[in-house]
Amino acid sequence: MSTNTDQSTDDGALADRSLLDRLRSSQFLSNLLSNRLAIIGLTIILGMLAVAIIARVSYDLSALRASNLGTVGDRLAPGWAGSGGATQHLFGTDAAGRDIFKRTLYGAWIAIKYGTVTVAASTFLGVALGIIAAYYSDLTDNVIMRTMDVLLAFPSLLLALALVAIFGAGLWKVVIALTLVYTPRFARVVRGAALKVLEDEYIEATEALGATDARVLARHVFPNTLAPVTVQSTLNYGLAIIDFAALSFLGFGAAPGVPSWGLMLSNGVTNGLLTGKWWMSLFPGLFLAILVLGFNLLGDGMRDALDPRMREAVD
Amino acid sequence: MASKRFILKRLLLLVPVLFGVATFVFVILHLASGDPARVILGQRAPQQQVIQLRQELGLNDPVYVQYARFLVDAAQFDFGQSYSVAQGTAVRSVLADKIPVTLELALYGQAIGILLGIPLGVISAVEQDTLTDHFGRIGALSGISVPIYWSGPLLILAFSTFLGVFPASGRIESTIFLADSWSLFGVTLPLTGMLTVDTLLLGNVSAWVSAVMHLILPAATIGIYSMALISRMMRSSMLEVVRQDYMRTARAKGQGSKITIMKHGFRNALVPVITVIGIQFGSLLGGAVLTETVFGIEGIGTILVSAINANDYPLVQGTVLTFALLFTLVNLLVDVTYSYLDPRIQQ
Repeated sequence: MSTNTDQSTDDGALADRSLLDRLRSSQFLSNLLSNRLAIIGLTIILGMLAVAIIARVSYDLSALRASNLGTVGDRLAPGWAGSGGATQHLFGTDAAGRDIFKRTLYGAWIAIKYGTVTVAASTFLGVALGIIAAYYSDLTDNVIMRTMDVLLAFPSLLLALALVAIFGAGLWKVVIALTLVYTPRFARVVRGAALKVLEDEYIEATEALGATDARVLARHVFPNTLAPVTVQSTLNYGLAIIDFAALSFLGFGAAPGVPSWGLMLSNGVTNGLLTGKWWMSLFPGLFLAILVLGFNLLGDGMRDALDPRMREAVD
Repeated sequence: MASKRFILKRLLLLVPVLFGVATFVFVILHLASGDPARVILGQRAPQQQVIQLRQELGLNDPVYVQYARFLVDAAQFDFGQSYSVAQGTAVRSVLADKIPVTLELALYGQAIGILLGIPLGVISAVEQDTLTDHFGRIGALSGISVPIYWSGPLLILAFSTFLGVFPASGRIESTIFLADSWSLFGVTLPLTGMLTVDTLLLGNVSAWVSAVMHLILPAATIGIYSMALISRMMRSSMLEVVRQDYMRTARAKGQGSKITIMKHGFRNALVPVITVIGIQFGSLLGGAVLTETVFGIEGIGTILVSAINANDYPLVQGTVLTFALLFTLVNLLVDVTYSYLDPRIQQ
């Protein structure tokens, strides 16, 4: 390990550690970048983000929602899929004569937008609660973690449904419900990581030097929980997108006509399943699955990069 | 061996959690926007009637009285009567009807997942970094990335709409009527509510075939997801175990690698996988809600969705509590099994 030159600050001796962390994180980054699957995952996510932004900029939401019955044929097959198809509709049309291609692309924007808010909010809440639970006394710890235990006693989609029963339907209400569903997972991970750091002697030393609670938590505990939290967030992103669409699929998320993937799939089941209108189900689901796969690939790669043992060959 | 003390401790830890769960379920009714009396009587009922019903339902009592009453009732699994979805029927009997339906679906799905997932995971680990492994891993990762409400419709389109091999919805041919009970040596016994079992108990082979045919697609939908999760866990668990010293010792003794892997590796690798199977049972129950919706199966999941739509609070409360209870009990079972397989965990 290299020597530390910056001895002048009050916790200068501790800078050694952050240097070590920096080394470790660059190790993490190089592990990650050498992981081909993780790179594929990242590429998928960035590609989908580009699609989402382009769709958001070029399409008008109210036009996508409006019914075209009377002007455009309903449930037209894609033009390339044999005769009788609509050539100008790449993914065909739905039961209201709306273009599934445009709606599917716009769905990427909806999924990413609400998914990001959900993951960001539950990460923030979980980190705050987890750190507080780890740092403060038994009582605070117990109150927070037992509440988390109760929330974890429900299967996640069921808890989300129960919360929707309280809040009512709607995209933002679904975001709130899912945030509450995911927060306990983050709180658990963070509390575990924070407890491990708090055992280290240097925390005691910092406190002895007169650092405030806030400083210890922000400067020493929080940075050490970042790695596990990032992995958890990435893996949770995929789940958030699936659950978010699931609630729209069940009829509690997007309002009628909104091009959310979940709602489009629900329309596909109601209006196209028995009559064989496969394009209504295929395309929105395909985009959804690809995006989720992207997050899972990246999340897996990050986890492997954090714990390189898993990559070693068997002796 | 799992000690009695450990089981007792786990059971005691369950009490505050179940108490919290019950409290949350109580809160659902009181935070939700609709007035239960209004929901029961409909929008056009005169105000006088609503006030009277509120009194009868005990909604005017102080909250702590209602809370205490709810806890006592919930402990007896009594949630009152359904408002609208199963109008006037006791929630308890609705649940008794529907739980076997969902459980049957979840169990068959889980069985498919375990039977396929474990061997796939082992193969992937044994053949680490070969083409087989890469396919296995990407397949498993895709499996958990595909939502049930997409794989279900695709299976219906392929095997029902286009190939016509399996029925698209329902649990059994609508022309088949089953008796309410069966008898063994002259004793009349109740049925289980699981059609694949009941039809056998009744000795009706064609009905059994129909029930199985109806169950294959929904169970496969859940099974694919479960298989992907289990094989991923099995693979990494196997890789972890293979690195242990006792594996090297076994090899050094001259034991063949295949035997070592099966005899020492497999058993030890299975332990963490059991935990995953348990934890995963929760997402499986969530999956059952979606699968039931896709396949038009009237289980506890579709009931919950209709109950939320109709503001049928007693039914929502009963269903949610049942799901939490099932989930918690399975987790308890997993902990006990785990401690049996790996006694160190008890410390």
